[in-house]
Amino acid sequence: MREERNIAPLLLGALLIASLLLDWSALVFPIDIFRFPVNILSMALWLAVTIELYRKREKWAASRFMLSGSATTLSFVAMVGLGIVFGIQLTPATTSYTAIIATLFLMTHLLLVTLRGWRNVRGIRWRFVVNHLGLLIAIGAAFWGAPDREELRAVVEYDKVTTEAYDSNGAMRVLDKEMQLEDFEVEYYDNGTPERYEARVRIGEEQATIRVNKPYNISFSESAYLVSYDTQSPDECRYCIVEVVREPWRYAIVSGIVLMLVGAVMMFLGGTTRKKS
Amino acid sequence: MELGWNIFPYIALVVVALSLSGALLSISTKEHKGKGAIVLSALGVFVMACFIAMLWQTLDRPPLRTMGETRLWYSFFLLLAGLFTYIRWRYRWIMSFSTMLATVFIIINIARPEIHDETLMPALQSGWFVPHVAVYMFSYALLGCATLLAVWSIFRPDSRTDDAIDRLLYGGIAFFTIGMLTGSLWAKEAWGAYWSWDAKEAWAAATWGLYLLAIHLPGRLNRVRYGVIIVAFLALQMCWWGVNYLPSAQTSEHTYTQSRE
Repeated sequence: MREERNIAPLLLGALLIASLLLDWSALVFPIDIFRFPVNILSMALWLAVTIELYRKREKWAASRFMLSGSATTLSFVAMVGLGIVFGIQLTPATTSYTAIIATLFLMTHLLLVTLRGWRNVRGIRWRFVVNHLGLLIAIGAAFWGAPDREELRAVVEYDKVTTEAYDSNGAMRVLDKEMQLEDFEVEYYDNGTPERYEARVRIGEEQATIRVNKPYNISFSESAYLVSYDTQSPDECRYCIVEVVREPWRYAIVSGIVLMLVGAVMMFLGGTTRKKS
Repeated sequence: MELGWNIFPYIALVVVALSLSGALLSISTKEHKGKGAIVLSALGVFVMACFIAMLWQTLDRPPLRTMGETRLWYSFFLLLAGLFTYIRWRYRWIMSFSTMLATVFIIINIARPEIHDETLMPALQSGWFVPHVAVYMFSYALLGCATLLAVWSIFRPDSRTDDAIDRLLYGGIAFFTIGMLTGSLWAKEAWGAYWSWDAKEAWAAATWGLYLLAIHLPGRLNRVRYGVIIVAFLALQMCWWGVNYLPSAQTSEHTYTQSRE
């Protein structure tokens, strides 16, 4: 029994070392192969495995480990470790093997403890459910949705209709709707710092007014952001840079965030649940 | 003379004098007779609040943009959190600690104000700006008080202080979480991504993880837990201002503090 109990942390340790080696050798995770529908199938597989782990929580040593306090500590240590590494040097989290393993571990642990602890003898533990489920949904949607996420930048000009945009790797993509700049305004503070800039862009048949902090929603999953403009000749601006962000999972992420916000308010109002002295 | 940042040293003198008198009175007064201490400290908080309101008016924008401005809010919330903790739980020395810490930040602000001008870059012109930063500053103050108690508890642990640490920690983490989440909603609106592992965001995640670890660690009077709270507060300093000194901050979207060349 003792040997069996040690398999789960050993397996996890081996996975972690392998992922660290892969990151160290600068290999990039092939995120593109996980685009829809592969990400949905992978998520379904992960859900099935995790639920099975939960069902066998009395029998399997791996389940006992994943539901233990050590796994909780390890989840937070992983989060802190990733935060420090990404805080010191910028590495894309979506293509780091270690970040992927750590996130999968955290999500699995979160789902298992949520399934175990959502109610007690006094009924449903709302604060616990809202906080844990909110975090799980927010992280899960960002994680499984990452392969479907795209950031495409286009140079939008006055006298040219464009459908060309470029992704972060510099590859050219064709946009669903054509874009053309119709008007651009910029205002300055007395010291020359830009106070406000705004572009009126035709996107397909629609006229969109875009400025910083005010994107234009093209569709359910797409928004257009004003990123930059012709800073060389701002008074006679010839073009602006518009970024089209495609994120089909965004409302799933928002629902997780909203749940967490409710959980944080409940946490403040309810205070500590530790046994008082 | 235009009323603005130039009068801060005089205001600071009044605030520190009032808060320090309140703190000293709280130490020397028996638990049920702390009214004088509360009145003096509350006056200190009030004067600081009036100065922030006046600065807001003078700059014609929320004074939350530069490091100096956030330090100003931090000192204010620290004094407020110390006063609140004293009123609620009557820890006689908490106001001395919070006043001491607030004074350090006030002195830094006098020596290196980093208050610039009325400019507010377009990225900061959002309804999220004030709640996001103010909520963060309030959480930093609560967590700062929890850290002071944790340092104390490492040497002299007792159950009553442990209870206070828990309460401050839960309140602090709740506000920190709200700050982080409002930030992610704002980031989506401004840059198109809820979370991009920008240097500031990465340190926020590390800080959050450490505080969550602290509330998940079992046992009372747990010195390891006190240690985690102290390390978490150090991570919080990295998240707040230390990150500006890292190379990764050069590409950070959260850098608004440089003055124009």
